[in-house]
Amino acid sequence: MTTPRPDGFAREILGHAEALYNHARHLTGGDAEAQDLVQETCARALTNAHEYRPGNLKAWLFRILRNAFIDARRKRRPEQPLGELDVVDGGDAEPLRDDLELERLRGLVADEIEAALGALSDDARAIILLDLEGFTESEVAQQLGCAAGTVKSRLSRARVLLRRQLKDYAR
Amino acid sequence: MNCDDVKDLLRDQRKGSLDAPTRVAVAAHLAGCADCRQAGAVEAALDEALETRLPRHRLAPELEQRLRAQLGVAVPPESAPARPSPAHGAAWRAFATPFASALAAAALVVLVLRLGAPRPLDGAWSLVDEAVSDHLRVVSTTHPPEIASGGVHQVKPWFTGRVDFAPRLAFAGDDDFPLVGGSLGYVLHHKAAVLHFRRRLHAITLLIFPAEGLPWPERDVVRLADRPVVEQEARGFTVLLWRDADLGYALVSDVNRADLEALVPKITPAR
Repeated sequence: MTTPRPDGFAREILGHAEALYNHARHLTGGDAEAQDLVQETCARALTNAHEYRPGNLKAWLFRILRNAFIDARRKRRPEQPLGELDVVDGGDAEPLRDDLELERLRGLVADEIEAALGALSDDARAIILLDLEGFTESEVAQQLGCAAGTVKSRLSRARVLLRRQLKDYAR
Repeated sequence: MNCDDVKDLLRDQRKGSLDAPTRVAVAAHLAGCADCRQAGAVEAALDEALETRLPRHRLAPELEQRLRAQLGVAVPPESAPARPSPAHGAAWRAFATPFASALAAAALVVLVLRLGAPRPLDGAWSLVDEAVSDHLRVVSTTHPPEIASGGVHQVKPWFTGRVDFAPRLAFAGDDDFPLVGGSLGYVLHHKAAVLHFRRRLHAITLLIFPAEGLPWPERDVVRLADRPVVEQEARGFTVLLWRDADLGYALVSDVNRADLEALVPKITPAR
C-alpha cells in the first residue's frame, strides 16, 4: 500500500526482530547461531531494501532469514547434499490417532515439544514453524521455494513426523 | 465427502478458512464419523501443544541493542539502556559482523537516497500508519507493559488521569485473546489508551482515542458487529479502524485477518 520510508523502514524491521529470533532459535537450536542469523538477516534486508515491494514485510524478512540460514549451513557443512534441506521424508506410516496419543499430546511439556521439533529435518521444522507464525500457504511456498500447491501436503507430512517424534520423547 | 477429503480439511476447518458450503459438509461428516472426529481431536491437540507450550524465545536486550545500532534505530526515550553486549565466540560471527555492520551503514545511506521523499500524509493513510507505528513500538520493546494485566478492571482504571477521556472497552480478554496489559500512546497527537492482547504467538495492539476532528479513511470499509469498519493492510500488518460515538478504535496485528475481525464484536458489541 505504501512506499517504505527511509525513517521508518529500519524501525519496521526491528519490530519483527523478536519473531525472527524465535524462528532462528528453533531453526538452529542455539542462541549464538540464532543471533548471528538475525543480524545477518537485518544486514541483508537493509542492503536489499530497494527490492522490497510494499506488502508483507515479515514474510520478506523470513525469506531472507531462510536464505541466510541455508548459506550458513552450506559454509559449515559443505559436504551435506543440498537436497537434504529440501526433502520432507514421509517415512513410515502415520501413527495411529488413538486416545493414547491424544492423552500423550495433552500431557507434553515444553522441553519435550522443543526437543521433538529439533529432531526433525530442517525443512520439516521450518514448515511447521512458518505455519505456526500464521503465514499463508503462498507465503510459506515463497519462503521454502516450493509450489504453493505442495505446501499443504508437505506440512501434513511434517506434522506426521513430529507426532512420531513426540511419541518417542513422551515415553 | 469421504474421510480422506475431510481429514485434509480438518485444519482449515479449525482455522475458519473454509467457505460456508464446505464448512457445513465437513461438520456434517464429523457428526457421523468417530474416526474423523478422533483425527480432528489429535490435530487440535498438536496445534494446542505447539501454540501454547512450545517455548517462545525472547529477544535478549543485548541483541536488541546491537540490532538498533546496526539498523540505526534510536532507543526510545522511555527505555533504559541495555547492558553492554557480550562477545560471542562463533567464528561465523567474527567473519560476518564487521562486514554486516559496514554493509548496513552503507545500505542505510543507499536506502535514504533511493527511497527519496516520504509519502505525503493524506488523512486516511496517516491514521493507519500511526496505528502501525504504535503497534511496532509495542512489539519492539523488551520492556513489560506499563500496566500488566490482572484483568480489564485493573487495566482500565490505570488510564484515569493519564488520558483525557474514558476508554470504553467491553472485553476483558479470554483464552483466545488474553489481555496482556496497557500503556499510553499517541494517534495524530491525540493521547491514546493502548491495550495489548495476544492471539497464540501474535501480538495485537488496540488503540482507543478521541476520534473527533481526525481524518477518517473512506475506502476499504466492511461491516462487522453491525458497524462500518475500515480494513487496510500496511507494512505487513492488518489494521481495523472503527468509531463508537466519540471514540476511535484501531486494531493492529500480523495475525490473520479472520482472527482480528473476530475481536471487533468482543471489544465493541453490535449496537
